[in-house]
Amino acid sequence: MRALSLWRSLVLLIVFVVGAPWPVLAQQPIRIGASLSLTGTYAALGQNQHRGYQLCARHVNEKYKMPMVAPMASTTSIFKKGRKYVFMLQSPAEVYLEGLIDLAAQRGLKTVAIINEDTLFPKATVQGTIELAKAKGLQVVFVEAYPKGNTDFSAVLTKIRAANPDVLGAATYFDDAVAITRQMKELNVNPRMYGVTVGGDLPKFYDLLGRNAEFVYGATQWEPELPYPFAKGFTESYKMEFPGADLSYHSAGGYAGCQILVEAVRRAGSLDGEKVREAILKINLGTVYGSFKVDQDGFQVAHKMVMFQWQDGKKVIVWPEEFAAGKAKFPTPPWNQR
Amino acid sequence: MNVIITPIMVGQVVISGLLAGALYSMVALGLALIFGVMRVVNVAHGTILMLGAYTTFWWFHLLGLNPYLSLVASMSLMFFLGILLQRTLVVRVVNAPELSSLLLTFGISIALVNLARLVFTADLRSVEFITGSFIAGPFALSKSRVISFAFAVAITLLAFWFLQKTKLGKAIRATSQSSEMAMVCGINVRRIHLYSFGIASALAAAGGSLVAVMVAIQPQMGDVYTFKSFLVIVLGGAGNYPGALLGGMLLGLVEQLASLFLTTQLSEAVAYLLLVLVLLLRPTGLLGGRAR
Amino acid sequence: MKRLFLAALCGALFLLMLYPLEASGYGVRFMLQLFMWVALAQSWNLISGLTGYVSFGHVAFFGTGAYAGAILIATHGWHWVPASLLGGLAAMLLALVIGYPCLRLKGPYFAISMLGLNEVMRVLVSYFEGLTGGGLGLSLPTLHASVQIYYAMGLAALAVTAAAHFIITSRFGLRFMTIREDEIAAEAMGIDTARYKLYAFLLSAFIPGVVGGFFARDQGYIEPISVFPLVTTITMIVMALFGGQGTIWGPVLGAVALFVFQEMVWARFLYLHEFFFGAIIVVVVLLMPKGILGVLRERYRLPRTI
Repeated sequence: MRALSLWRSLVLLIVFVVGAPWPVLAQQPIRIGASLSLTGTYAALGQNQHRGYQLCARHVNEKYKMPMVAPMASTTSIFKKGRKYVFMLQSPAEVYLEGLIDLAAQRGLKTVAIINEDTLFPKATVQGTIELAKAKGLQVVFVEAYPKGNTDFSAVLTKIRAANPDVLGAATYFDDAVAITRQMKELNVNPRMYGVTVGGDLPKFYDLLGRNAEFVYGATQWEPELPYPFAKGFTESYKMEFPGADLSYHSAGGYAGCQILVEAVRRAGSLDGEKVREAILKINLGTVYGSFKVDQDGFQVAHKMVMFQWQDGKKVIVWPEEFAAGKAKFPTPPWNQR
Repeated sequence: MNVIITPIMVGQVVISGLLAGALYSMVALGLALIFGVMRVVNVAHGTILMLGAYTTFWWFHLLGLNPYLSLVASMSLMFFLGILLQRTLVVRVVNAPELSSLLLTFGISIALVNLARLVFTADLRSVEFITGSFIAGPFALSKSRVISFAFAVAITLLAFWFLQKTKLGKAIRATSQSSEMAMVCGINVRRIHLYSFGIASALAAAGGSLVAVMVAIQPQMGDVYTFKSFLVIVLGGAGNYPGALLGGMLLGLVEQLASLFLTTQLSEAVAYLLLVLVLLLRPTGLLGGRAR
Repeated sequence: MKRLFLAALCGALFLLMLYPLEASGYGVRFMLQLFMWVALAQSWNLISGLTGYVSFGHVAFFGTGAYAGAILIATHGWHWVPASLLGGLAAMLLALVIGYPCLRLKGPYFAISMLGLNEVMRVLVSYFEGLTGGGLGLSLPTLHASVQIYYAMGLAALAVTAAAHFIITSRFGLRFMTIREDEIAAEAMGIDTARYKLYAFLLSAFIPGVVGGFFARDQGYIEPISVFPLVTTITMIVMALFGGQGTIWGPVLGAVALFVFQEMVWARFLYLHEFFFGAIIVVVVLLMPKGILGVLRERYRLPRTI
């Protein structure tokens, strides 16, 4: 999801490599390195991930040092550059809005507008979405990027209102998702479908927007109710271990990242970087986060994203068919008719 | 992929710009005070704003009271924090070369931001109080922005009345014109420094409280307001208090118009280009401040 | 005394040259970054320590060099050494264009204008997506060249420190320092301050540009935020200040001390290391404005040009 700080990952890798010749003793704690944003603007999400890792480490009762599974990295370019020690856990950025476009096409909608934060992940999402839209026969009528940290969307929303698209997709993070939704209501912008990428899935999204969050579609890599192995157990232990803390797919991602590492070490039978790497390439496993299988580049090929819609205060999964728990409430009614 | 821009759209955006501009003016006035009186470049201004926003958040969250009432609380709290900071740290870089004050306030900013992160965690917070907009003809005016505009204007006018009509205010203005002459006239310049920093912090806190209702609150939120305040000061002229008013409105307008006619992404560039241009062509600011 | 010092210096350089043969990957990377910071702090010293014009956006040159080098490497397939050198030239060009008008500004205005410049560069780079990849960033073909980059950074650090030595011990540098002490008097004495300030500025921009190119190669991926961050400027300033700005060895000392400290702290105190950084800045500014060398100078008799 967010571009990796590669030098940190390489440092961790090297640290691991340094530790390589040591035999794996049953009692000797092995330490996992993870690259997490704990300060700066992504700190909130990094924290969630950190908690996921912590929980997993507690469950497994050991700590490891090894090649990097990057749970929250979704940008294809990270993995397609011949890097050997980075592995992807979730679906790529490009398909985040696939559900939105697919549902729109099914309903016969014609025009799409997309706005995005001008950073790596949202931009990748936009590119992917434009391709998907064209493939499904929708016309992209408006695309605009805004700088990170932007809080006033009146100008861009005014332009969107004038363009009058059927579908509005926003490739966002949390605070811009909230701000855009709020300002859409204030400026009376009424697309028939409106979806966001990151942030729409957090319970906080609904807490902050209340009824204004209704009908918003969101992309998520994981929801607690999805039928993945141990997902329920994970959710319960997380709530017990960190009462009151945010539980988002980032948390589950952290946990699953740890799971993969544990599994890889177990299969490799050693801490050697190469061996662990090879083990990861062979893993085809269901984690709390969903299916995991990577191709030669470390690119994730098995994981599936889902799309939900906020309905009556609950996230109802509406896409894809095999995971859908309900039907999408369509079309989104204009603000003044709610 | 271009949208035809109608006058109504321009009008809408101008309104948004002015509403935002008042807030910028108020916050920048604080920065102008600090620079004018003490020649200190306060990079921690936005951080104080952030603390003001958190104050409002906790006020609303723990006490359940109207966040606009919290203005009193946040402004007073930050007034005292400002005085404390000035008394212990900033006093040593008053009238010092700019590097010292830049670095010192930067250090303070980092320390405070991280303290906030430790204590409040980096989880995003928000104050949900008023949503929706007033409809005036073809224009939609966001309720929260209109209210914050009203408060910002009121507070700024109050600040100006204070600076123009009260004895302390005049003393502050005198000190910012020339601290030596002020001393000669019997003004306790050290005390003026304390009060100025306190008042400036209160203004920043007011800004924070007002934006708390509109944007997501997190420890890093202040940085962008620091930059904008610098922009405003440069536009209006350093040490020129009415200039801060003009600069703020101008910035709000420029931002929104650039977003409309170009893209939102470019509006950032336009703002900074404006900064550099004004610095190069008219460093004393559009209304003329101090050159040295 | 001087001979002893020179011998020690040669010994140290010799050891550093041999280091990669024995060291672990982490060690090489650690030193590589250390060299980078030495080079950056020293370059900042050349303009701000010597002429007193505080460049508060110096990372703009770093970023420019990084992008120039990265574009040449990624799009035109250049080798990273000439690409980085060209990055340095690009940075110098930027310095020329900017320096001419900006150096006329006084004190805090110059600082703020440099700050604005940094942001303008960042936004411009984001805007010209076709060239730079914009917010998507620029990816370079994968290449594991840590050891070569180690030497490259080391050479850069050496070059700029040597430059600092030659400048500070010469009349050329004396003119810079005169400007710092009293610009009007300098003008009165016949020094063409505008020209010398520009020289200092150009010199101070070259190495950050080159080092930026190396950095881009090393990272393999850059995006606007990663190469134009304000915190990099602050770090190089604090390093130079900590060691003693305006001296030759001050920035080196400061960079070594602070970088080592930072590495030790950030791994152990995940949530606190930034706080410590802020605290250090406050301490350095208030208690040691002249830096370590400044304090030592007051206690002992050190040569003027250390």
